[in-house]
Amino acid sequence: MNKEFSVVGKRVIREDGFDKITGRAKFADDYKFDGMLYAVMLRIPSAHAKINSIDFSEIENNEAISAIITSADVPGIKKTGLIKNDQPIFCDEKVVTPGDVLAMLVGNSENELRNLVKKAKVDYTELPLITDPAKALDQEAILIHPDNGSNLIVNHHVKKGDVEKGFEKSDHILEQTYTTPLIEHAYIEPEAVTAIPLGFNGVKIIGSIQNPFTARRIVAAVINLPLDKVQIIQAHLGGSFGGKDDTMCILSARAAVAALKANCPVKIRYTREESILESYKRHPYIMNYKVGFSNSGKIIAMKINIIADGGAYASMSPFVTWRSVVQATGPYEIENVHTEVRAVYTNNPYTGAMRGFGSPQPIFANESLMDEIAIHLGISPVEIRKVNALKNGSITATGQKLENHDVNLIQVLDKAIYAADFQNKWRANKKEKPLTKEFDFNNPVLQDYQYVEPDKLIQKGIGLAVSYRGCSLGAEGIDTASAYLSIQNDGTVYLLSGLAENGQGMRTTFAIIAAEALGILPEQIFYLETDTSRIPDSGPTVASRSTLMGGGAVRNAAEILSGRLKKIVKEEFKLSEEDVVSFRENLVFSRKKGLTAKFSEVCKLAYSLGINLATIGYYKSPSVHWDEKSGHGDAYFTYVYGCQVAEVSVNIGTGEVYVNKITAVHDPGTVINKLGAEGQVYGGVTQGAGYALFEGITTEKGLIRELNFDQYLIPTSKDIDVIKPVFVEGKDSYGAWGAKSLGEPTLELTAAAISNAVRNAVGKRFFNLPLNLEEIVLGKKLCPQEVKRGSLQ
Amino acid sequence: MRSTTIEILFPRNLSEALSIFSDAKENLKIIAGGTDVVTGIQQESKRFIDTEVLVDINRIPEIKGIEVRKKKISVGAAETFSDILRNNLIQNELPLLWKACSSIGSVQIRNRATIAGNFVNNAPCADTVPVLLVYNATVEIESLSSKREISLQEFLQGPYKTQLNVNEIVTRINIPIPSKTFVGDFYKLGRRRAVSISRITLAVLMDMRGGIIDEIRIASGAVTPIGARLTGLEKFAEGKEVNDRFFKTLASKMGEEIIKITGLRWSSEYKLPVVQQMFYQLLKSIEQRSL
Repeated sequence: MNKEFSVVGKRVIREDGFDKITGRAKFADDYKFDGMLYAVMLRIPSAHAKINSIDFSEIENNEAISAIITSADVPGIKKTGLIKNDQPIFCDEKVVTPGDVLAMLVGNSENELRNLVKKAKVDYTELPLITDPAKALDQEAILIHPDNGSNLIVNHHVKKGDVEKGFEKSDHILEQTYTTPLIEHAYIEPEAVTAIPLGFNGVKIIGSIQNPFTARRIVAAVINLPLDKVQIIQAHLGGSFGGKDDTMCILSARAAVAALKANCPVKIRYTREESILESYKRHPYIMNYKVGFSNSGKIIAMKINIIADGGAYASMSPFVTWRSVVQATGPYEIENVHTEVRAVYTNNPYTGAMRGFGSPQPIFANESLMDEIAIHLGISPVEIRKVNALKNGSITATGQKLENHDVNLIQVLDKAIYAADFQNKWRANKKEKPLTKEFDFNNPVLQDYQYVEPDKLIQKGIGLAVSYRGCSLGAEGIDTASAYLSIQNDGTVYLLSGLAENGQGMRTTFAIIAAEALGILPEQIFYLETDTSRIPDSGPTVASRSTLMGGGAVRNAAEILSGRLKKIVKEEFKLSEEDVVSFRENLVFSRKKGLTAKFSEVCKLAYSLGINLATIGYYKSPSVHWDEKSGHGDAYFTYVYGCQVAEVSVNIGTGEVYVNKITAVHDPGTVINKLGAEGQVYGGVTQGAGYALFEGITTEKGLIRELNFDQYLIPTSKDIDVIKPVFVEGKDSYGAWGAKSLGEPTLELTAAAISNAVRNAVGKRFFNLPLNLEEIVLGKKLCPQEVKRGSLQ
Repeated sequence: MRSTTIEILFPRNLSEALSIFSDAKENLKIIAGGTDVVTGIQQESKRFIDTEVLVDINRIPEIKGIEVRKKKISVGAAETFSDILRNNLIQNELPLLWKACSSIGSVQIRNRATIAGNFVNNAPCADTVPVLLVYNATVEIESLSSKREISLQEFLQGPYKTQLNVNEIVTRINIPIPSKTFVGDFYKLGRRRAVSISRITLAVLMDMRGGIIDEIRIASGAVTPIGARLTGLEKFAEGKEVNDRFFKTLASKMGEEIIKITGLRWSSEYKLPVVQQMFYQLLKSIEQRSL
């Protein structure tokens, strides 16, 4: 860390912390308005059906219903989407996934509406289901969106060298297939939004919205109004993890349509069941990896074929799979690479952005494979990675030369193996043959030899995984951010950026950056409410880009204003031209004369002189480029690196995996808020452990089994013991003093590291996440044939 | 979501409650902690779909408290798991019950959920049931006109079915203090370490004399349709010499017994080998500790 910083890198308590733990913070469902109505959704229990008719005759005259909203009430575009407009606001022709909404009842009693909605008679014809993404592109497969011409959403590829020649030159070839499940974001706050009609001024929307500007674009298109007539305000958000984007845009649009028709504020709020039913999820991947390598462990060729289950709508699939295609080889320099990634439509819940965004899946596959290569050659997991690791000046799979930043892959690896004493533990725990017992279901009564000696029941293991990650959007699109800063004449400051606080602590990070640049304290900075009518569009708050991009904009704004103040100080205190003015601890210093004034006095002075102390700072990413045809390009302008070491205890009798310790070493560039950075690690690792061990949405006839947290299990604090965050702060010229990304890297590695630790513990490789009880004991998943909960009897 | 409103009554003593129950119909349900009732109503469970009246029993002093009565520990039906966990008597005299209570849900759930609430719905995964069964617990039941005490085993009839009539309430659970010669343990397997619905529960209480099993009580939960004593297994074990070989035989015998009772289900492929394995491990650890 740069020793000259006064607040950057310290541990700062987040500015919304006290309001949140005391219940004062207002979340979307806490907002109530006079005359407010509720809207309740009409769905059918089918994942693929043609709608023949909807009959409201039994309820349409019921006085509890103020309005019935269908597709016919949508004044603008009827289908929407973040990239492709394939998702209807209301499905009047067919449903393609069980979360689909046909229509909406509006009235002032939510309870009554929920009963009345059952009396709408929907006549529908079931259509054949596609739930297996591997079959979506079969010739005979039914088309989910016929106007798309096929069930293919997107196909990306990367080619470098010649893989076939590379395989010929290889001493060894391994080929494996890995799969990952459908994952729910599991934010603590289910979706909620209220739309308030403003007459000629359009509509105002307050909700749990991750990306207010995206929501504005979609609402405006759906209600057919210009952007300035749609005002989106973000309420305090109870978690998002990438999950409150598409769903919230569509819910905002539905609420807006209803509010304009009923001419009253209309609120939509979801139960947990509705939230899991309708919200998008993380893509399941089927990943085939073929790798050729030399006797020394140098990888010569890697061929990767990935099918991503996009579910019923395209959503972010084209971008999610693009990150996968860029990063699928892992952080290794490989001469010959051929990667194909296809995202396909199925009738499963649709998939989009979730923390990791196309990286946790290939990292699980590729880092499992690296360990298999090491085991195959009898070398350590550390050695195989060092032989192939990206270094300064390396060329990535997409042909990008890594320069202009510290390529700290080997540094984070070294730090992690030292901190966890990896090499010794790995050798000590290593198993030559599988310890898990084989069972024959036809002879379910155990034979004596199938009993495990009590002292062999718990097996310890250690494993690691490394990754690199392109920062921000890369070649996905325009990458800019803005921040508004206004200094008051007493030295306090208003701050607002076009990016959104989604629980990650961004406001505090930005306050620290502004405070550092102005030589004041973060507490003097008041962060304003996020409102699309007050600040320029800064793109979505995604891709671990807020600290990097928004931080750059905040620093720019603060430096513009501090420049104006310094000019006044020089003039007013008659300092020489070559003197240097600096701000520190709310004081103003001249290099020659020392302490010159208080910060607040200078602010007052500027006010009296009529100097403008408000500005919009701006940050634009350096250019990147991508050639989709050749699969080549400088995909991202900078990268971050991480290594996680997992230590586990596996009960080979039951298949329970307990996480004893995760050592998480990350290079996020400069750390702005140490406390916030550690929080990112604790949260990301915990989510990653859930991905490794417990989580997965499954379906039966296309209908989701796990609709609440009694069945969809995420880790509790009792399932993981120690998480140890370690930061290596590599130098970079971008953003605010080289502060880059951390949110997603913390999650993407954990499942791979845990899986490698389990392999070390039990001597058996697992290829399919999650490594739940049945997977460890039987090597497969078991599911009930019914969707219903037992407790509902 | 229901359209009808639910009336909630708060009797202040047992006789008030009993007179409410005396002309009760199926539309009346008792609520204590609400960890089953509230979620059941919200999920539109068949068990609560017709509920119109809830009787909150938290203010009734007669069904509270933990005390010793005639060599039995008498636990009030509305004692929460947190109450039980704070009680030294339970911790010292009924360690299996203490352990089972500590494995339930989370602190927040244990602060509300009650012991009688754990078994009055007779869910197969009720964590305290196998333990109460091996302790030979009895259940005191009262109505306005009658009072009876039956064994928990008799009380539990079938999945989500008990002997309790709509005009009755469970007032106390009475647990004989086992002699000091008994050793035993409780085992629970869940998918995670807290807030977890049990996949398998086992309770064993064993009196060994000179390496011979004098008496053994074995009960299971979640692998059988309801928590139940495995009496066939107990008879088989009594009088047998304790050794590793025998524990394996007994564990495999449990596998056979469970197939007989439960048949094969979607989960059997996993649960069957694991319940045998972990029953064996449980017996071994009890043996270890009693040496």
